[in-house]
Amino acid sequence: MKKLLGSILLCLCSMQVFAGVAVIVHPSNGDSLDKKDIENIYLGKTKSFPGGGQAVPVNLEGGAVREAFDSNVLGKSASQLKAYWSQKVFTGKGTPPKEVASDAEVIGLVSSNPNIIGYIDSSQVNGSVKVIAEY
Amino acid sequence: MKQSLAICLGTLLLSTAASAEVHISGFASVVGGQVLEGSGVEEFGLEPTFLADYPLVGAYTEEWSFEPDTLFGLQFSADLMDGLSATAQVVSRGADNFSASFEWAYLSYELNEHWTLQAGKKRLPLYYYSDFFDVGYAYPWIRPPADNYTWQIFNYTGASALYNYLIGDWTMTGQIYYGREDDEPNKLLSEFFFGASTREIWKDIGGLVVQFNRDWLDIRLTHMQYNNERFIGGEQRIWDNGSTERKGKFYGLSVNVDWNNLLVLTELNRLTLEGSDLDTYLVTLGYRFGDFLPYVSYSDFDDGSEIHNTASVGLRWDFHPSAAFKIQYDDVTDDGVGAGTPDSWRVAGDAKAISLGVDLVF
Repeated sequence: MKKLLGSILLCLCSMQVFAGVAVIVHPSNGDSLDKKDIENIYLGKTKSFPGGGQAVPVNLEGGAVREAFDSNVLGKSASQLKAYWSQKVFTGKGTPPKEVASDAEVIGLVSSNPNIIGYIDSSQVNGSVKVIAEY
Repeated sequence: MKQSLAICLGTLLLSTAASAEVHISGFASVVGGQVLEGSGVEEFGLEPTFLADYPLVGAYTEEWSFEPDTLFGLQFSADLMDGLSATAQVVSRGADNFSASFEWAYLSYELNEHWTLQAGKKRLPLYYYSDFFDVGYAYPWIRPPADNYTWQIFNYTGASALYNYLIGDWTMTGQIYYGREDDEPNKLLSEFFFGASTREIWKDIGGLVVQFNRDWLDIRLTHMQYNNERFIGGEQRIWDNGSTERKGKFYGLSVNVDWNNLLVLTELNRLTLEGSDLDTYLVTLGYRFGDFLPYVSYSDFDDGSEIHNTASVGLRWDFHPSAAFKIQYDDVTDDGVGAGTPDSWRVAGDAKAISLGVDLVF
């Protein structure tokens, strides 16, 4: 119970205070990406990194880091993005990035697959991934 | 025997689960409305009516109704890996007494980074909003302006190729498609226009869509051709050209702007059917204040005889992460020539109507 309360508190804290959004890729990924490149990958406008490798974006399910990424990098509100993707999904023109629940899961996916790109709270970055941009 | 069957089924289910991930998503609109004031069309014995949705004959009267625009849709998509997927969409509409039917069923194969091939039954991507007409959450209004979306046919069976290219700061996307549709009885023609069971056939439908997108600017160009045959009450229609077939050519231009919080949506279309032109356009202005999007809109249909337009004002409120509340007032003017005569080209008469409801996606 104590543990649960602790994790809820931790969760609430991390939702309110975060250092910034770090966009991460596998350490072997040599591509440099600007904001437009990241936006194109996350809006499904391209399926590859500038260097040619396949790019698979991963989203966080929700929370402050997701909100910051949506508004600062993609320049859209959650409902604008939902409208954008519902148009794609229901016309067979694309599917939104897969969503995972936590920073740790994003790190796990990115560090194990060179094709995956993700973003996490900057304070959670560790040596298993490479930061390509911070917002 | 029973046991081995069970094991068999179990294995099958397991292996299906392992190789194909089935994704279910959906959309719904629950909308009610009524005509506040309307002329009806005396020569057809039609009471005051607001024809909100032509293809499905979603028509409001002076009595409050939830049927014309309410619908539920479920989409099943199976990812068969290596770029192959199968998608089916089931839609239940109030305008069809909520009987559910497969609107879509198609296979999709990702050829490479730029091209995707699809085959089966799909929505016809004629106008800008045609292929997501049912997904109210994806646009500001309660429904795309009725004067523009007057077409009898909204699905087709055939094949299409989707493409997607990045060109500098622009994205170019589009679609090339070919197919046919044989609809009997066609709802709009049978129930509204001819009052007799009508079979509407569009053969050799061939079309091209090219869409350019850059930041806040979106430009869409489209062309489509088809051969039209029609049977009214079982009897084949002979067109003015003396033939059982007539050729239709459609051209459309759409320019949409989403700049900061300003929204400008425009569409200009022409369908040429054996020498006569059916022209439609729409323009919508909106401004986003946080979760609120008030808008004004004007749409127009004119083929020289059938002439109608709609002025609308409305509000969209994104009150929930997956749902939007909308309220809209529509003022329809029906200037069809020959009013009051047997040759009347009026459709549903003048009408002022209110509608409100909720759109959601999941």
